[in-house]
Amino acid sequence: MASSSTSLEPLFAFLATSLSKLEYAFNKLPGSAVIQRYVRSSHQNDPGRTILELILVIFAIRTLMQSRTRADRAEKHFIQFSDKEIDELVDEWTPEPLGPALSAAEQAELAAVPVVVGPNGPKPRLASTGKTATNVASFNFTGLAGNEHIQQRAVETLRKYGLGSCGPPGFYGTLDVHMDLERDIADFLGTEAAILYSQGFSTISSVIPAFCKRGDIIVADRGISFAIHKGIQISRSTVRWYDHNDLRSLEEVLESVEKERRKRKGPLTRRFIITEGIFEKDGAMVDLPKLIEIKYKYKYRLILDESFSFGTVGRTGRGLTELYNVPAEKVDMLVGSVAIGLCSSGGFCAGSQTVVDHQRINGPSFVFSASMPGLLAVSASEGINILRSTPSILTTLQENIRAARAILDRVDCISIPSHPASPIIHISIRSPSSTSLHPASAALSPVKPSNPASPLPRDAGTWDWDVEAEERLLQDVVEEALAQGVMITKAKRLRGQETVEARPSIRLAMSSALTKKETEKAVTVVKNALVKVLGRRR
Amino acid sequence: MPAASPPSPMALNIASPTPSMFKKRSSQTLAPMTSAASYLSALSQADARARNSREKTPTSTPALSLSSSITSSSEDTVLNESDLDNNADGLALPARPPTSEQVFTTVHTEFGHCANEAYRLTSQHTPGEPVPAHVEQDPPYYILLSTYISYLILIVIGHIRDFVGKRFSPKSYTHLMPRNGYAPLNSDFDSFYTRRLKTRMDECFSQPVTGVAGRTILLLDRISPDYNHTQILTGTRTRALNISSYNYLGFAQARGGCADAVEESIKRCGVSTCGARLTGGSSDLHTVAEALVAQFVGMEDALISSMGFATNSAYIPALVGKGCLVISDELNHASIRFGTRLSGAHVRMFKHNDMGSLESLLREVISQGQPKTHRPWKKILLIVEGLYSMEGTLLNLPGILELKKKYKFYLWVDEAHSIGALGPHGRGVCDYFGINPRSVDILMGTFTKSFGAAGGYIAGDKTMIDHLRVHGHLGPYGEAMTPPVLTQIVASMASIMGIANPGAPSSTSGAVVPIDTPASHPGPAKQSDLPAWLNLPPQLSSGAEGRSRLRRLAFNSRYLHRGLIKLGFITYGHPASPIVPLLLFNPGKMCMFHRMMKDRQTPIIVVVVAYPATPLVTSRVRFCVSAAHTKEDVDTVLRACDEVGDVLDLKHGIKKRERWDIEKIVNSAAELAAV
Ligand SMILES: Cc1ncc(COP(=O)(O)O)c(C=O)c1O
Repeated sequence: MASSSTSLEPLFAFLATSLSKLEYAFNKLPGSAVIQRYVRSSHQNDPGRTILELILVIFAIRTLMQSRTRADRAEKHFIQFSDKEIDELVDEWTPEPLGPALSAAEQAELAAVPVVVGPNGPKPRLASTGKTATNVASFNFTGLAGNEHIQQRAVETLRKYGLGSCGPPGFYGTLDVHMDLERDIADFLGTEAAILYSQGFSTISSVIPAFCKRGDIIVADRGISFAIHKGIQISRSTVRWYDHNDLRSLEEVLESVEKERRKRKGPLTRRFIITEGIFEKDGAMVDLPKLIEIKYKYKYRLILDESFSFGTVGRTGRGLTELYNVPAEKVDMLVGSVAIGLCSSGGFCAGSQTVVDHQRINGPSFVFSASMPGLLAVSASEGINILRSTPSILTTLQENIRAARAILDRVDCISIPSHPASPIIHISIRSPSSTSLHPASAALSPVKPSNPASPLPRDAGTWDWDVEAEERLLQDVVEEALAQGVMITKAKRLRGQETVEARPSIRLAMSSALTKKETEKAVTVVKNALVKVLGRRR
Repeated sequence: MPAASPPSPMALNIASPTPSMFKKRSSQTLAPMTSAASYLSALSQADARARNSREKTPTSTPALSLSSSITSSSEDTVLNESDLDNNADGLALPARPPTSEQVFTTVHTEFGHCANEAYRLTSQHTPGEPVPAHVEQDPPYYILLSTYISYLILIVIGHIRDFVGKRFSPKSYTHLMPRNGYAPLNSDFDSFYTRRLKTRMDECFSQPVTGVAGRTILLLDRISPDYNHTQILTGTRTRALNISSYNYLGFAQARGGCADAVEESIKRCGVSTCGARLTGGSSDLHTVAEALVAQFVGMEDALISSMGFATNSAYIPALVGKGCLVISDELNHASIRFGTRLSGAHVRMFKHNDMGSLESLLREVISQGQPKTHRPWKKILLIVEGLYSMEGTLLNLPGILELKKKYKFYLWVDEAHSIGALGPHGRGVCDYFGINPRSVDILMGTFTKSFGAAGGYIAGDKTMIDHLRVHGHLGPYGEAMTPPVLTQIVASMASIMGIANPGAPSSTSGAVVPIDTPASHPGPAKQSDLPAWLNLPPQLSSGAEGRSRLRRLAFNSRYLHRGLIKLGFITYGHPASPIVPLLLFNPGKMCMFHRMMKDRQTPIIVVVVAYPATPLVTSRVRFCVSAAHTKEDVDTVLRACDEVGDVLDLKHGIKKRERWDIEKIVNSAAELAAV
């Protein structure tokens, strides 16, 4: 309240000074005489009213100004040209091509992207070979793709709701099945509420700007995914970075932020820690209990992206909160992907009622996009039911992951940064030189702490791998595996657009739809392909 | 439109050996509305005949109609009986019962039965006619003044309530105040508008619904015991005329050829393709759909993404970046702003659809170059929308192409609302103006609207599309579109285009009007380009129903637009636009308008929008016309607006003596729309 009266004071001062100017300008407006008479007579009766009306005018002007970005014309850099000169400049100007042609390597890689004919699943038929392959590339972690019960429910929903919702949630796009799925997700995780977005990728990049505004502080992991980077970028908040999956580094950064704030005596702003449950970039897993402890200690809010851990870890697939037995309420904004975790489409953010309601008005891709098709929402709800009632699915998945790691961990020309329980397994090439060098450099570097303002890891300068060569080698591995009937994929990156360039890797996606035998067989093929291709290298 | 024109393809004319009993019966139904039961039986018999004739057509794969076994066929075109008996709202049964010749293949509540060929128009630009700029018609001064005063009162009272509330009920403000060392998620100042203005109108927003968002929609009734802080569902439902969904061509249907195809695809391909396009989520359906979209919009290649919003927000950054300039219409959609902000390009805006403002801006930016350094821009990308969703303005494409020749910028047209909805072939603004689509660099659009699906596309030349496939954000990271959605797109799009050589010629193919396709629109889809299992019923595959949908939409749009103007309302937008905004101005009238439309005997649901989605004074209601609406539905809307408009004092458009009486408008609908 005190703040509101102080903020009004300068407003009144401004009002008084601009009153006379306003009056002059006002007299020139058409129809102003009428209004003037009206104002004058009303002023005689009730001077307070005039002030109220003026506030209104100012409000109107302010909104008008806000809606436009002002032209730069007034800038001191403006050069005056004659019309003829402008015409010449226009004639001279030649733009770069809009979409440059792909390089030969990119083109070849695009052509090699596997295309599935018919349904995707553990053994899809591929368009390129016409044969089936064992699939360790697609996200079908819990084998929900192809589930007949889900398909039947989807058809029933289709017959009741049609396909598209034909409207954003605010304008008759909220179906009862959307509300049901939101409740199902919230109940499944144990949060107060949840909100559904119509695309997994766009979820986190809408959740972040809904809460984090200019001036707010974000402390984020250096290894976060591309989508989170985009969300942080659009939020325009102040960002500080901590070392990838290193909670000690996180504490250091939080300390330094707090010190900075105390020094500047800045106001209390919103502060967020943003990280992932299982990292898309490398499959590492965050230590959630410790993270929660830190977040409470420093009074930060936690935005946790569980895109790859929801529906894949925990006894019934509830994600990290189930795995570590942490109540999901302790995560302020828990973001997950319905598309990845439940083999449907869309994404969600679970949290308290306030957090969810706030996004219903402020989440850009929630407000300005059509809601997802009803049958996909029902499929996801059914997926949750299945996970809830069949914990053996998750057991099988974990067994398969263990079986795969047992084979891969013995291969010495590769390194696997992924957590042993991660359903995505990243395989990157171990540089022959750095095998011995790496521990040493790691031992040396703590002397020089990384710069929290830069998203680059501190050892970025020592990265010596040749991205292009490694991409090529790994693509050879992919093709070699495919020739043996196993479909795998590299982790595709947007080279040149990523904030931190990840080391090239192959990303395996485990599935409970394969038996342990099948998994072992497929992973052995991958291993042999790796050994064969990487062995040739030397 | 002469009365002797061919009958509506939505009404299959089948010269079949009609049982005489049926004939007698249906001639009785020609009299004013008979009992629901007779209507039901007439329809179900007619439907059965239609099905029989369909199954007779030789097909290579099992007929799809067999697959829709969940419901009995009589349910296909009519509702369940309880709904019929209760036709008090006038929504369940058509105003005119079908004659014995007419068999409707759509469910009336989803897609209205309208056989009168007089109520059809072609959506096409008249050559030589100037494209109207966005004209804002001002209301009388007292309206403006009262609008400002309304906001003033709202703001003052809001602040007073905050002031008092914080003292007497601090509890309800705790979430807006710093607490235990946490800054509030939303401070009281940031959320003032939401709390004090929007909450008052919350009954107009986020109404939960169920069923198909077609011609009508089922509302889940709700009440608020505490001034809109919480909404409680009462468990009852109300069927309302839906003039709000973006269902331009009426493809939001749970029955019919497209839905049958979707069902088939779910059984064949499941509900998900499990991954991103570049990493194991591509399916042959994607390839098929992308090729079809490219053909539909007349471009070399196209790509499909699983969300319309992301099609803008994730692909614009792949084309422009630092050192580039994006010129954006001031009223562009949030997704475009999102994308340009992510791209890191410099952004300038010009006045809405104003070619003068655009040209002077172009001259300035090209001559000045990049800020400070004055280096020339790497590229300039102009991003505009084909049809603006809040204004109904039609893009001045000829004007822009004129400028494009001289100023060499690249052009990105967001056809979210115009694809399917405009043009004699439904192929968007280029089609409407008869312009070769290849003169535009990028055509972007969404499937959420006209196609009753979800997601979006980008079409352009192959080099650029391949560039986007590899360098766009969604290629490696975004989930791929799911098979049911892809199938809905393929089926609805193919039925707009018509399929060349659809299996074997069927009995109805004689009724096909030859399509006069200009070279830029390569005409019907090829059967061989579609999935082999896709088997659309003849009225869809011949393209007849698609054409009828386009022509119904064009008629309904013009009729509603002209009708509202003749009633004396202030509207925005182009008459060909299916988006018809009606200006309300006063914020208080929004809720009233919404409620008065919803509480009528035939409930009508509308979308009301106000600041910040529109400028402060121009609060409006936005109608979205659909091909699913019958002429009588538009009559209903016009009548309702007429009455509500009188009560709320909304008629500030043309002068009183130029206005028409509602009966005159309704009776001369065809002439009115055709002028
Ligand atoms: C111009 C424009 N572009 C993009 C979109 C987003 O489309 P979608 O709802 O499919 O995400 C919309 C939707 O309202 C729109 O109006």
